[in-house]
Amino acid sequence: MGFEFSVITESLPALLAGAKLTWIITILGIIGGMVCGILAGLGRIAGTEALGEEPHGIFKPISVAIRYISGCYVETIRGTPIIVQAMFLYFAFPMLVKAVTDIERFRIEALTAAVITIIFNAGAYIAEIVRGSVISVNKGLLEAGMSLGISRFQLIVHVIGPIAFRRMIPPLGNQFIISLKDTSLFIVIGVGELTRQGQEIMASNFRALEIWLTVAIMYLIMTTVLAMSLRKIERKMKIF
Amino acid sequence: MSSIIELKNICKSFGDTEVLHNIDLSIREGEVVVVIGPSGSGKSTLIRCINCLEMISSGELTVDGIRIPEERGRTRQIRLEVGMVFQQFNLFPHMTALENVAFGPCKARKMNKSKASDIARDLLKKVGLAEFENKLPGQLSGGQQQRVAIARALAVSPKVLLFDEPTSALDPEMIGEVLDVMKSIAKDSGMTMVVVTHEMGFAAQVGDRLIFMDDGRIVEEGKPGEVMKNPESERLKDFLGHVKHH
Ligand SMILES: Nc1ncnc2c1ncn2[C@@H]1O[C@H](COP(=O)(O)OP(=O)(O)OP(=O)(O)O)[C@@H](O)[C@H]1O
Ligand SMILES: [Mg+2]
Repeated sequence: MGFEFSVITESLPALLAGAKLTWIITILGIIGGMVCGILAGLGRIAGTEALGEEPHGIFKPISVAIRYISGCYVETIRGTPIIVQAMFLYFAFPMLVKAVTDIERFRIEALTAAVITIIFNAGAYIAEIVRGSVISVNKGLLEAGMSLGISRFQLIVHVIGPIAFRRMIPPLGNQFIISLKDTSLFIVIGVGELTRQGQEIMASNFRALEIWLTVAIMYLIMTTVLAMSLRKIERKMKIF
Repeated sequence: MSSIIELKNICKSFGDTEVLHNIDLSIREGEVVVVIGPSGSGKSTLIRCINCLEMISSGELTVDGIRIPEERGRTRQIRLEVGMVFQQFNLFPHMTALENVAFGPCKARKMNKSKASDIARDLLKKVGLAEFENKLPGQLSGGQQQRVAIARALAVSPKVLLFDEPTSALDPEMIGEVLDVMKSIAKDSGMTMVVVTHEMGFAAQVGDRLIFMDDGRIVEEGKPGEVMKNPESERLKDFLGHVKHH
């Protein structure tokens, strides 16, 4: 039983379909994860000097609450395995809904559960990336912005944002690749992504070498595309 | 003439340490006030309180008719009227010289981009940097960066400019170009200026008033020439001796 190239060509359509699903979950997941991560990352430092100046009056307790909620979210996600999060969302969450409401047949599609899991999971790690880069922006620049009389929103969008974003790119690349590879864990909730397709073909023809080699190469191609796109964005931004 | 900045019995503490003690100071429109004093005497804290980068702990501050702490919600309004130039320039590193200067009028004064750029170009010309408008801060010398920073502060047409040791981070050969720009602002535009500096020549030439601070208090003040010639307190004599021998 040597290396049979035909095994690869025969299983290619199924594997490509799996790769496509992996790619879709990843892209939707990291887009949502960015939104989630930016909100939670800024939330964790709401009302601190990292975002301008400390608020006063009613905004003070509000910002404390936002910090607390964002912190709980990040720590909960970081503190539990992604596979448990996916299982919880897919199997346990519908039961929870059923227990607290009267909705009988509440279900989450496996694919939907996969995307949501990546969004929330990546979001928590991206939140830390966002927080770290924002904190690292020189405080003098914030003071220069504030001295011009711009609003906090303008300060975040035009001064803190661009400077912090550039520093986020390398760790973001890391996280995107991790998220892509994490999609292989959705094999446990039955999503037909790349790893599951490989597993199924393997179970029928027992050609482990050909199948897993092809699967590995497909992952490698996808992670390379992610890494190279980020590198391109990094180069496009002004050097400073 | 009415005063544009009024400090009444101002105290400022960081935690348990009070660093400004009962400061009274009133600055007229168009006046150039030079603040000197040893390190840690509270000069930076004093001028940072004026544009609310530091919030006063007690007392009353009035800037262009806005009263702090009563009108604390209007600090942005104060900052529109009070520009600041920092020791470390603090130019936005991702914007060109022109973008740095046009940023304030565009965002804070809500001007359209082309009008803001026109203003910025004019100001860059005024500080002698017309041909550097497309350079990033990292491509400019310290003196050039500080001149861009001055243009940036001027661009929102403030009524007051605060300077916190604007030449202290510069190589000696660049100090002159920055001081020249500051002198021309003081003379041509009649801008109200509060300048923390140890450049005694600048103080003598353009200062209307010299303030000597020590340990969070205003110890002596008066016409720069007179104060420098006849210091009353031992501490100021001492201090002037140190500055001269530099
Ligand atoms: N953010 C801060 N937190 C705590 N203490 C501070 C803070 N800023 C200033 N201080 C303290 O306040 C005092 C006055 O500082 P300030 O910076 O106003 O002095 P300065 O006269 O500007 O000194 P220098 O000539 O060194 O710039 C110092 O003792 C300083 O340690
Ligand atoms: Mg200082």
